[in-house]
Parts: sequence; C-alpha cells; structure tokens
Amino acid sequence: MIVTDTTSGKSHQVKIEPVESGDYKNITKGRYFFDWAEEKDWEIYKLRIIDSRDILGLVSFERIPAEWRIHIRLLSVSKENKGSAKKYKHITGNLITYVSKIAIKEYAELACVSLKPKEIIAQHYIDKYGMNITGMTLSVEIIEIMNLINTYDHD
Amino acid sequence: MTKKKNKVLEGAEYGVDSRYTSKKDKEVDGKTLMEARLKRMNNLSEDQIARAKLLQLKLKMEEYISKPVYQDNNFFTEFLTTYIDTIYSKRSNFAKDIDITPILLSKVINNHREPRDEFMMRLMIHSEKTYKNICEFHKKTWFQVYFHEKICDTMSSQDKWRPKVEKHVNVSKLIKAE
Repeated sequence: MIVTDTTSGKSHQVKIEPVESGDYKNITKGRYFFDWAEEKDWEIYKLRIIDSRDILGLVSFERIPAEWRIHIRLLSVSKENKGSAKKYKHITGNLITYVSKIAIKEYAELACVSLKPKEIIAQHYIDKYGMNITGMTLSVEIIEIMNLINTYDHD
Repeated sequence: MTKKKNKVLEGAEYGVDSRYTSKKDKEVDGKTLMEARLKRMNNLSEDQIARAKLLQLKLKMEEYISKPVYQDNNFFTEFLTTYIDTIYSKRSNFAKDIDITPILLSKVINNHREPRDEFMMRLMIHSEKTYKNICEFHKKTWFQVYFHEKICDTMSSQDKWRPKVEKHVNVSKLIKAE
C-alpha cells in the first residue's frame, strides 16, 4: 500500500499495524480529532510510512462474526492530512482496504465492512469507495472489496 | 456545489465517528443490513465466490508465512487442498492440469509423500495463471509456505530429534570466545 505526497507526487510505502500502548500519548484529540483512548477495548490500527514513526491515520473497529461483518467505529487522518491542503493522499482508502482484507480473511465471500457516517458525508464515501447504502449504514461487500484491493493494495 | 457542502465533503476525509449509540441500534442496523446483503449475496456468480475464496486463501497464506507458527497442523497441504477444491469439482482434474497422476496428488495431499521441486514449480505456474485476474500473487508464496512449515516443525520439535542427532555432531575445531 502507498500514500502519495500531494506536493511532490512521490509515493511512499506504508505499514498498517496495531496501535501500541506507547502510542496513546502521541495520538491526541488535537491532531487526530477523536479521543482514541476511549477505543482501547477495541482493535485499533495505525498507518505510517515505512521508515517513519509518524502516524498518518487511525482506524478502530469491531468484529461481528455472527454477521460476517466488521464495523468501523472511528477512522481519522492526522490534522495535516485533512482537506484540500492535505500532505498525503490515499490514507483513508488504505485504512478501509486494510479492514476489508481482514474481513475477507475471516469471512471470504460473506465479508462485509460497515460504517455509519453522519448524513451528508455518506455521499462522499459512496462516491469515492463505491459503498452500498442500507438505511443509514454504508457497507462494502465482496465486489466493492475486490475493487478496493485492486485500487489500493499492491503488496 | 455550495461552499457549505464543499466544506462538509472536505471534512469527510478527516474521519468518521461511526460508533453505535446503543446495543439496540447495532442490532437493528445489523438486521436491516443483513437482509439487504443476503439479496446481494444471492446474485453472486460462482466465479465471484471462487475469487473471494482464493483471495481469502492468499491472505491466510501470507499471514502464515509472516510469523512463526508452532502448531502440529499440515499447513501446506491444508492450503493446497483449499486451493484445489475451490477451483475444481474433482481433484483429478487438477492433477491432469499439472500433468501428474491423481495417485501422486493424493499422496501429497494426504502427507504420504513430500512434494518434489517439479510439483512445486507446476503449482507455482498454475497459481500465477489462476490469480492473474484476481489479485497480486507472489511466485514464491507456495515455496515460502512449504519451507516455513518445515522450519517451524523442526525448531519446535528439537526435544524429540536433538538428543539423537547431537550424538553425531562433534566440533573438533572449536573457536574460543574472546
């Protein structure tokens, strides 16, 4: 997986791995928008450029095996990667794809990754990641997951 | 697009708080979502299902080779069996496709014979062709799985083989510590 520097156009390989206890002092609400310490009971993964310790994005999620589903609880990029002036692009896409790969590994053709964003921003996720909409819930299932993997995962 | 909408969509990329506010919320959403998913699942073709299973297999193999696993399972043959059974309704058809006898394939699958280089190389080429239209698949994956299992098995069973083997090892020219 890669992120692209929006200024230079240079691509960087990234690593997505579980957040460690020592990370919590650095993942502040000021830089990552949410209180990530509240998510300690869930699985939380961080995205960083290989050879850098700086965390560019975070995701927490819950596995729901009875429904062959993983529900994304929180997802965020770091402050400097927000909006049109972002430093790197593809952070969110990589994080969603990573969670989707876990879902495929667990549930194969039954895999589903869901999230429930607030109203208006839902359209952004539908347009950008090809998400299905059911009521207020957005989801990617096998067909969308394969598309995400082919777009974001080159490992 | 209005300035306000632009700003909201720009904000969408910073993140999502998607936590359920109650257990009931989660259950209701799960149920509604499941109904919609089942309809979509019913429309999946056999090929789409096979693609998903093969992707799952690839991810499981990659996970296996990424860390030491000290379990007494036959991982290589389990992965191989999944691979064959996902693609073929009869294992003998896979044997035919890689030009080996069904008896030899059966022996490999049932751990009565080690796969030889020839078998591994044909499996590698077969997988390359199978995964070509699905996802990236490294040529070395099957070899890595096979040798990873050998390494893990050997390292984890030292108490069984070491006493006997060590009797046959003598270092006549021992390099002294500094």
